[in-house]
Amino acid sequence: MSLRLLVPLLLALALGWPAPARAENIEISHILIEVNDEGYALDADFEIELNPRLEDAVNKGVAMYFQVEFELARNRWYWFDERTVSRQLMLRLSYHALTRQYRISRGALHQSFSSLPEALRVLSRVRSWQVLERAEIDAGDYQAALRMRLDVTQLPKPFQVNALTSREWNLASEWRRWPLKIKAPVTEKAPQ
Amino acid sequence: MKYALVISVLLGVILLFLLAAASGNTALFSHHYALLLGLNAALALAVLGLVGYQLWVLTSKLRARVFGSRLTLRFLLMFLPMVIVPGGLVYLVSLQFMAKSIESWFDVRVDNALEGGLNLGRTALDLLLTELNDKARRMALELSDKTPAQQVVLLDRLREQAGVDDALLLSSGGNVIASARKGVGKLLPALPSSMIQRQARQSRSYSALEGAPDKGLSLRVLVPVAALSITEDERLLQLLQRVPPTLTRDAEAVQEVYRDYKELSLSRQGLKEIYILTLTLTLLLTLFSATALAFLLSARLSEPLALLAAGTQAVARGDYSRRAQVTSSDELGILTQSFNSMTEQLDDARSAAESHRAELETAKAYLENILANLSAGVLVLDEQLRLVTVNHGAGAILQETFDGLKGCVLADWPRLQSLARAIVEGFKRHDTATWQQQLELAERMLLVRGSVLPRASGGGYVVVFDDVTTLVQAQRATAWGEVARRLAHEIKNPLTPIQLSAERLQAKLASKLAPEDAAALKRATETIINQVAAMKGMVDDFGEYARTPAPSLQPLDLNALVREVLDLYEHAGAPLRPALQAGLPQVVGDPTQLRQVMHNLLQNAQDALVGRADPQIEVETERAGNQACLRISDNGCGFPEAIMVRVFEPYVTTKPKGTGLGLAIVKKIIDEHNGAIRVENLPGHGARVSILLPLLPESGRTS
Repeated sequence: MSLRLLVPLLLALALGWPAPARAENIEISHILIEVNDEGYALDADFEIELNPRLEDAVNKGVAMYFQVEFELARNRWYWFDERTVSRQLMLRLSYHALTRQYRISRGALHQSFSSLPEALRVLSRVRSWQVLERAEIDAGDYQAALRMRLDVTQLPKPFQVNALTSREWNLASEWRRWPLKIKAPVTEKAPQ
Repeated sequence: MKYALVISVLLGVILLFLLAAASGNTALFSHHYALLLGLNAALALAVLGLVGYQLWVLTSKLRARVFGSRLTLRFLLMFLPMVIVPGGLVYLVSLQFMAKSIESWFDVRVDNALEGGLNLGRTALDLLLTELNDKARRMALELSDKTPAQQVVLLDRLREQAGVDDALLLSSGGNVIASARKGVGKLLPALPSSMIQRQARQSRSYSALEGAPDKGLSLRVLVPVAALSITEDERLLQLLQRVPPTLTRDAEAVQEVYRDYKELSLSRQGLKEIYILTLTLTLLLTLFSATALAFLLSARLSEPLALLAAGTQAVARGDYSRRAQVTSSDELGILTQSFNSMTEQLDDARSAAESHRAELETAKAYLENILANLSAGVLVLDEQLRLVTVNHGAGAILQETFDGLKGCVLADWPRLQSLARAIVEGFKRHDTATWQQQLELAERMLLVRGSVLPRASGGGYVVVFDDVTTLVQAQRATAWGEVARRLAHEIKNPLTPIQLSAERLQAKLASKLAPEDAAALKRATETIINQVAAMKGMVDDFGEYARTPAPSLQPLDLNALVREVLDLYEHAGAPLRPALQAGLPQVVGDPTQLRQVMHNLLQNAQDALVGRADPQIEVETERAGNQACLRISDNGCGFPEAIMVRVFEPYVTTKPKGTGLGLAIVKKIIDEHNGAIRVENLPGHGARVSILLPLLPESGRTS
């Protein structure tokens, strides 16, 4: 049994730290970037499919942390791309057995739902996520990237060990990349 | 190697500690748990690599048969079970124990109890909710037949009666009509969301348990209040009631434990795997580290022995300079020290033996040198009379190389038969005593002494002989000189009276006798006179031999002298063939005496050639080192072998007439000139006389 565990572990070490297993169980269905007064806000829709094991774990009270990651990179022909902005949004899905409610927490905010599909529906809709401040970014052509994944390291340790060897615990979407043109704000930089 | 091991062991201890701490039920490192596991595994791999490297080194050493490597292997094989067996035992027991104990955590009864506790909480909350719902309906009923103004007044009273924390009356548009609260806490009541209001209106009731993670639980009930008339819109009554804190706390506690329990039971496989992984990593790290340590220790233990072995091999090769380092004060150190002192003693003993041997060799060489340069001949024979050793002198005296004679029994010698026979007989006759014998060989006289070597020194015989030819000749010459002097003195004196008496007899008696008698007398007296005269001549010769004056040495040209003498013999008998080396340096000699030498020798040669058909005499001169050589050869009858040894003695002659003094005189003269003379028979016919005369020192050098 220990061998079954140890061999993939050693193999993984030998081949470098494992990239998350390619499990296509989160799909990005819709992305929209909106310019507002403060900068850029992101709307995104995901399709999250919880496999029975994860569903069981949620129903048994294990809290799941979903991380939405947004990256903005500028192309550089001479070196690796420059990572300009990196944003994370942490969403926590948990089940409260006493009230039989599912909760989604986003920072200090939380919502309760009486059923899991309901909670997942809300979870998979990210709205008005302020990803870029106007002041922190220069105009130009960028490459934006977005994905959502289950943060395994937030799980209790036994599940982390499971996640090392089992694909069932790896829940992630592919990086979705698209070019993004940032225009110079008209209001700023008045001629001196 | 050592440091790599120490570092990896330290790292391993730290990482294992962290892993063990993280594997426990704490939040420590929970985010980096996988990384920690990976690091441990990497370290285990690294130590395994170290072990592999050590194994490889040991194997190559074993293959190269490096001394001490087998000992290292033995130590290692002794150490390894001490590491592996307890480690493996503890590992297996722990594994078993852990699996059992984890399984024992989960129990159906505990499960049921927790489930029951949770249901209890839920039921209690449901009861509260139902109760609140009933209160709300009663309140709604009472409020329904009141005017809005009355409702506002009545609400607080009804709230008071029902013992509800918070009551709220909402219009159909969601606006607050009336609010009644217990105490004076928050000003704003918690408004229901529009979705809740819609739900309440549709299903005629809404009741829910609400809870924020840190605010405790509260109950919310919404019921519609029936309107008095159709024109009036339907209002909503909301009641909020906080669940009693004790109930909340207990229910939450139960829920918490229930959740943890469920989580644990869900993750029991993972939990087991965590512990197994931790244990396995611990075991591997321990085993590998211990193995590496065992390698180091084994190598360290066998190192002094390998040093000692290297020292031993060096000693075996004869190198005593290697000294093993004494590094420890234990038995190995003492052993090393003893080895060092032993080596030192060996070294001393060897150098002593070496110098002793050198001394012996020097002494032997000295003796051998003496023996080799001894003019006397030495033969060493073993007990069977086989020739063992012969010195240079023996070869020189006998003119013999002794090839094929060494190791040969004396009696079987192909050459030198007479000497061998004499030696054998000598030893036979004298048994063990030392004997001495004079032996006459063809050309020389030997004085042979034989003695038996003591049995203690290996036995055998030693024969020493000297060439005494010259000595004997000198003795004889001296003896003959004395005889000649005596003869000249004693015999010559009576001769004159005898002659005179005979003459007088003839003179006195001749006239008185008859003619026949007188004739007889005359014959007799003449015979006497003649014989006396002959005797006188002989005596004179002797006198001359005895009285040869000392030569008056002076530089002279040998070639001129030879030519002068040869002129006299130009027409006498045999033809002369002179071969004189031109430019011969001057010699030292007495011309008169040397002329006599020439006369004597030429006379001898001519005498030897009488009756030969092709008589021939060769006269040669040549330079031989710092001597001049004069050779006179003829092709006559030569010397008989029998007299070769004594040819220079007086009265040794082959001629019918002659005193035999010729060569004796020659020899005497040459001896007095410090020269040498040699007589030999030529192969075929003839004889040769060679004379060596010293050159004039200066002329010898200047030419």
